Amino acid sequence: MELTRILQLVFTGLIMGGIYALIAVGLNLIYGTMRLLNIAHGELIMLGAYTTYWLYMMYGVSPLLSMVLVLGLSAVIGLVVCLFLFFPVIRSSRSIAVLESNSLLIFFGLSFIFTNTASLLWTADIRGYSYMTQVVHIAGVPLMHNRLLALGIALLVCIACYILLQKTMLGKAIRALIQDREASQLVGINANFIYLFSFGVAFGMAGLAGCLLSMFYEITPFMGLPYTIIAFIVIVLGGLGNILGSLLGGFLLGLLETIGVSVTSPGLRPILSYSLFILIILIRPKGIFGRGVY
Amino acid sequence: MEGGFTRDMGREKRLLGVVGLILLFLCLLPLVASDYHVSVTLDLMMWIALTASWIVLSGYTGYISLGHSAFFGLGAYLMAMTWTRIPFGFSVVLAGLLSAGFAFAIGFPFLRVRGPYFVILTLGLTEFTKYLFINLEIKLGGTVGRILMMTPSLHILYYSILVVSVIAVATAYYIKNSRFGTALFSIKEDEDAANAIGINTSLYKWLAFGLSASFPGMVGSILALRRSYIDPYTVFNPIVSFQVIVMAFVGGLEDVEGAIVGAVILTLVSEALWARYPYTYMIILGVIMVFIVRFMPLGLVFPIKQRLAKKSKESHR
Repeated sequence: MELTRILQLVFTGLIMGGIYALIAVGLNLIYGTMRLLNIAHGELIMLGAYTTYWLYMMYGVSPLLSMVLVLGLSAVIGLVVCLFLFFPVIRSSRSIAVLESNSLLIFFGLSFIFTNTASLLWTADIRGYSYMTQVVHIAGVPLMHNRLLALGIALLVCIACYILLQKTMLGKAIRALIQDREASQLVGINANFIYLFSFGVAFGMAGLAGCLLSMFYEITPFMGLPYTIIAFIVIVLGGLGNILGSLLGGFLLGLLETIGVSVTSPGLRPILSYSLFILIILIRPKGIFGRGVY
Repeated sequence: MEGGFTRDMGREKRLLGVVGLILLFLCLLPLVASDYHVSVTLDLMMWIALTASWIVLSGYTGYISLGHSAFFGLGAYLMAMTWTRIPFGFSVVLAGLLSAGFAFAIGFPFLRVRGPYFVILTLGLTEFTKYLFINLEIKLGGTVGRILMMTPSLHILYYSILVVSVIAVATAYYIKNSRFGTALFSIKEDEDAANAIGINTSLYKWLAFGLSASFPGMVGSILALRRSYIDPYTVFNPIVSFQVIVMAFVGGLEDVEGAIVGAVILTLVSEALWARYPYTYMIILGVIMVFIVRFMPLGLVFPIKQRLAKKSKESHR
C-alpha cells in the first residue's frame, strides 16, 4: 500500500477513534464510579446532534457555538437524571447486583423515551447539513475541515480528561472511588458529589460527541444505539472502570475498524466490531490493559 | 422459597381448576371469536411463551439476557429456509432444537461472565447475528428478506402457539418447584457460596440457558409464517428482548404468574396503541419501566401475593 493511502486510513481511524473515546470515557466514568451501565448513552448523542441541527437550520447558529450550548444542556440533563432517578434507586437497592439490574432498566426506559419522543417530534427521516466542508491537504491526504475540527476537539477533551484524572485532587478522588467505594468514603471523599459530577461530565461529553458527529454523519432518532454498543466495545477493550483504558481503547477501535473495513468491505464493519467485542469479553474480560492503568 | 409439599391440597386443586378453565377457553376461542380476537390472543400467547421462557434463565438466576431476539431470529430463519420442504410441525421442533443447540454451544464461555458483562455480551450476540444474516443474505441471494408463500391458516398457527406457550409456562412452573429451580435460585442469591456447598452452578446455568433459548426459537419459527415476510432487521430486532424484559419486570421476575400478568398488561397496552401510535407506545413502555423500578422494584404481582399470603395466614388464626 502506498503511503498516502496508509496515512488516509490512519487519519480516518483517528477521527472515529477520537469520537469513540469521547463517548466511551463518559460511559465508563458512570460505570466505574457508580456501577451503573448507561444503555441510554447513545441517546444523548442523538439529542446533541438534533439540537445542533435545529439550531443551525432554524436560527443559523454556528455548530461551533452550539457545541458549548449542547455540552451544558446535556450536562444539566445528566444532573437531573442523577438527582431524581438514581439517588433514590441507589438508596432503595439492597445490593450491587440489584442496583445493577434496576439501573439497567431505568436506562432502557430512558432510551425508549428519548428515541421515541425524537421520532414523534421530528419524524424518522434521515437529516443532515453541511458545514465547514472545505478540503485541506495534509501530507497529501485530502481532509475536510469539519472532520479535522472534530478530531481536534476530541483530542483536546481527551487530554483535558487525562489531566483532570491524573493531576488534580478531584481526579484522584474519582480514581479512589472507582478502586474502593467504602475505603474512599472513609477517607472523606464525598461520593455523592462525584456521582453528580460523573453524570454531568458523561452526559455532557455524549452531547458534545453528537454535536461533532452531526457535522459529517446523518442524524436519525435511532442513531444512538449503535454508538452505545460501540462505547461498550471500547470500555470492554480498555477495561470496565478503567478510564484511561477507554481513551486508548477508543482510538484503538477507530483504527482497527478503519483498517479492517479497508481490507474487507464496509458491509462487514459491524461484524468485525462485534467479533472483536465477543472475543475480548470471552478471552480477557478485564480488558486488554487489565487493571494496570488506573 | 416455598416448597411444593407445604401447600395445602385445596389450593392445588383450585389452581388446577383455574388452569383447566383457561385452557378450555383458549382451545374453544377460535370457534366463536372473530379473526381479530384470535390474532390478538395469538400475540398474547406468543409474549407469554417468550416471557415465561426468559425468566427460566434470567428471572431465576439473575443473569439478565438480551439474547432472546437472537434465538427468535434463528427460529424464524430456520422456518423460512425449510418451509414447504418439510412438514410445518417438524420445522417448529427443529427451530427449538437449533436455538437450544446454539445456546448450548455458546453457553459455557458466555455464562462465565457475570452482571453487566453478560447483559452487553448478549446484546452484542443479537447484533452480531443480525449483521451476520444481513451479509449472508446479500452474499447468497443478493437481496435481504424472504417472502413465505402459502402459509398455514390463522387457526393452525393459533393452536401451534397455544401448544408452545403451554409447554413454556409448564416448564417455568415445574422448574421453579424442583431441585433444579432451587439450584438456579441459589445462583441468584450467591453464586460463589452455591458453588462452595457443591452445587454445580455452571451446569445448571448452562441447562437453563439452553432450555430458555429453545422457546424463542419455536415462537420465532411460527411467527415467521404469521408475518409471511421476514428480514434480519425485524426478526433480530433487540426490541423483542426489551419487551420481554419489561413484561417480566412488570409482573415480577421470580415466578411464571408474574410473567403471564406482565405479558397480558403489556400486550393489551400495545394492542391499543402499537398499530396507530407506535412511538407513543414505546414512550409509555419507557415510562412504565422507569416508574416500576423507581417506585415498585418488586413488580406488580409479588407485593399482591405477599399481601394475600398475609391475609390467609391471619384468617387461619
